[in-house]
Amino acid sequence: MNDFLFTQVLTELEDAIGRENCSTKEIDRVTHSVDYFWLSRMWADRGRRMPEADFVVSPKDAQEVSKVLKIANYYKIPVTTWGGGGGTQGGAIPVAGGIVLDTKRMDKIYDVNTDSMYVECGAGAIYKHVEWAANEKGCTTMHYPSSLTCSTVGGFLAHRGIGVVSTKYGKIDDMALKLEVVLPNGDIIETSPAPKHAAGPDLNQIFIGSEGTLGIITKAQMRIYEQPESRKFRGFLFKDMHSAFLAAKEVLQKFKPSVMRLFDEAETVSLIKKIVGVQKPGAFMTLAYEGPKELVEVEEKIVLSVFGKYGAEDLGSEYGEKWWKEKITFFYPGHMLDIPQMFGTMDTIAPYDKIEKIYWAMKKAIETQFEHVKFIAHFSHWYEWGCMVYDRFIVEKEFVPEDPAEAMRLHNRIWSVGVRAALENGGVVNDHHGVGLKLGRLMKEQYGPAMQVFEGLKKSLDPNGIMNPFKLGL
Amino acid sequence: MRVSENTNYILDNCRFCWMCRHVCPIGNATGQERNTARARALAVSMVSRGAEKLENVVDNLYECSLCGACTNNCMTGFDPKEFVQTVKTQAVLEGCIPPYIADLLKKYAETGNVYGAKADGSLSPLFGKKSGTLFLAGQDALYCAPGCVKEALDLLSRAGVEAALDEKACDTGAAMWFLTGKTEETRAAAEACAKILNGYRTVVVYDPADLKLLLHEYKEWGIGVHAEIVGFNAFLLGLIRGKKLGVKKGKNVYTVQDNYAYARDLDDTETVRSLVECAGENREMLLFGKEANLAGHLVMRTYMPEVQRAVALKRWENANNMECRTVVTENPAEYVLLKETCPEGSRVISVEEMLLENL
Ligand SMILES: Cc1cc2nc3c(=O)[nH]c(=O)nc-3n(C[C@H](O)[C@H](O)[C@H](O)COP(=O)(O)OP(=O)(O)OC[C@H]3O[C@@H](n4cnc5c(N)ncnc54)[C@H](O)[C@@H]3O)c2cc1C
Ligand code: SF4
Ligand code: SF4
Repeated sequence: MNDFLFTQVLTELEDAIGRENCSTKEIDRVTHSVDYFWLSRMWADRGRRMPEADFVVSPKDAQEVSKVLKIANYYKIPVTTWGGGGGTQGGAIPVAGGIVLDTKRMDKIYDVNTDSMYVECGAGAIYKHVEWAANEKGCTTMHYPSSLTCSTVGGFLAHRGIGVVSTKYGKIDDMALKLEVVLPNGDIIETSPAPKHAAGPDLNQIFIGSEGTLGIITKAQMRIYEQPESRKFRGFLFKDMHSAFLAAKEVLQKFKPSVMRLFDEAETVSLIKKIVGVQKPGAFMTLAYEGPKELVEVEEKIVLSVFGKYGAEDLGSEYGEKWWKEKITFFYPGHMLDIPQMFGTMDTIAPYDKIEKIYWAMKKAIETQFEHVKFIAHFSHWYEWGCMVYDRFIVEKEFVPEDPAEAMRLHNRIWSVGVRAALENGGVVNDHHGVGLKLGRLMKEQYGPAMQVFEGLKKSLDPNGIMNPFKLGL
Repeated sequence: MRVSENTNYILDNCRFCWMCRHVCPIGNATGQERNTARARALAVSMVSRGAEKLENVVDNLYECSLCGACTNNCMTGFDPKEFVQTVKTQAVLEGCIPPYIADLLKKYAETGNVYGAKADGSLSPLFGKKSGTLFLAGQDALYCAPGCVKEALDLLSRAGVEAALDEKACDTGAAMWFLTGKTEETRAAAEACAKILNGYRTVVVYDPADLKLLLHEYKEWGIGVHAEIVGFNAFLLGLIRGKKLGVKKGKNVYTVQDNYAYARDLDDTETVRSLVECAGENREMLLFGKEANLAGHLVMRTYMPEVQRAVALKRWENANNMECRTVVTENPAEYVLLKETCPEGSRVISVEEMLLENL
């Protein structure tokens, strides 16, 4: 954009939302160019600048978002929405320049409604702040991802995020009652007054997971829950993963534990041994059940009896409690995976009859096609019909190419191989981190002709293609 | 830019870590991504790598209040304040501090304080008293909250303590430390202050920011103070327990606005609560004790007044959510900013006001 037009656009943005809420400063452009995507971090680590926005804007509500989008549409300038920047798929990186729209000024908690058990809040609210608001009224959001303190309501919705107690309480997409969304043309819409209905398709679910490509979520009503009277943990060691799957599936036909995490043999040995202190080989599973005391006691009995049948060794509550306490420690620098290692989480999901096959196929594909790439996994977020595999690849620093472009090539090849192995065996592109820039190319491989539904939506809602270009494969 | 290995180590750990963003009072008040420890670290780490110029990102260092909420929240023990202060010193050396900071330094050179202010006329009668006990009011109180100084001295006087007040002693070096880190100027101010303090037997320090400097940084810099140093809260509690100050327990419900220096740097969240218990009932709001959330910073108010108002308003939100109507402060900056933003139906009082109304 030439200087003249640049200044014209800037003055229009300033006029729309106030000078102090529009920035072209280096500090804002740089800090909005590196998100939690391994590639953006690696690029910065090597002293390279990521693509940056020309303008960083922070509107305070849907009306201001609407004004920004109208300007952007008129001048055909890309708009990339940025929540917390905690996404792992490069979704918030303004790869095409233009405007970064940061949502964090839309952080108001409008209502903690204990009559209907929801919080109404701005989509830029950090989820931990929503949790605090719920706590102040004696409730909780039951959305406990490791990034509770990092990411926003809108960001979680945009990526269909998930927390550690999802097996009982659901994913973020199960927790949204109603959304306010600004469409690319600036129109402000609300989804249905109630999330369950027969008044046509579900508008919520069109925007949830759309990663800022179809509109910007500006407000949301998110469910809250009573604090559980009791939460009990129990750790088990299975002799192998297969018996653990059978046992878990059987429990899930009877009730839903809140936490259910099964670590594969490799992860049991490495991570779990280091952090939780389990010394024996096998497949470690940690569980929690919660709610009214009496129910929890019954649930525990069910677990002990079912797991006993499958030969699980009862490790008592200590391991589970320790894991619960330490569960976010893993994500601090120096604790888990960090640059200069190369790593990625290729979470996918499938029914029980496919998930084990997917795990083995991904493991084999990664380990045989790449030298020096380690593969570990755990299975969390379980349903009556299937579960998610949270598999990670790790390349130690001595095997990561020096040249950033070469490192990017290796990274992208590993991803393609891993995700394709999942797709070929009945999995999906991703379970809860989203698609972003990282996996856009694989969306058509999963959806085939079904992709035209998304493309049709994109074309009609965003004919100028300004909303988060090069993301979600759209 | 040349900084120590340790500074680079902290920078490189914080730059890609999102975990403490939710506690940053400035980030929460502004909603700006740059007001997070990770963003600040990222920008500076890019300077370290030669991919950014310090002068382009230096303002960001002055948006950090050094409140240490991030440090306290960090499960791995990294301290972003360390790199903020080191890089500020570097900016001074490289001559690239922002113009509004240069203005404050100019005011300091001309008047001895960054506010460019003179002590309020109403304080004149209080100067020049001879005593073995010095009341070290600190520059924030002296120049921005003279009422607090008067009330604090009044309270001491009711307990039979006629403390001296000395304008020069109020400059502990805290403002220079905040603006420039460990520079010659900061050290010179600290040494001059120490000299005055050593003329007294006891020094009662009103502002926890000064207390922290005297107890921590002075030691680290090898600046000796022989006088006994006591925080104002602890001194008051001593007077009450020694029956020199009779405080009656009333029915009022108070809520402590913990000051970060007391709560985190000095690890003292209990003294103020003991004082509150003497006067009434204590009700906590969100983020209390060690998790204390800043309610305002006076030096920062000179160059970012709207943000400081927003910081204080956020704190009022916390208080109101728990129906805490009377907030008790333990330092002048938070007193002033909470007072300026006090919503109808609520009130802010200092520790000394609380005790005075319950004598
Ligand atoms: C330490 C750490 C641990 C993590 N652990 C988990 C975990 O346990 N579970 C989990 O699910 N994820 C986890 N993540 C990933 C991350 O928290 C999620 O992907 C989250 O959804 C990102 O939200 P954000 O606000 O940070 O979004 P951003 O990264 O800013 O944006 C993500 C995408 O959403 C879009 N977007 C953001 N806000 C809006 C909006 N209001 N309207 C429309 N589009 C929008 C952006 O354009 C982008 O495409 C973790 C991340 C970190 C840093
Ligand atoms: S202080 Fe700790 S939590 Fe905060 S950014 Fe640094 S490493 Fe992360
Ligand atoms: S010290 Fe305080 S103001 Fe500075 S980054 Fe940490 S939390 Fe924010």
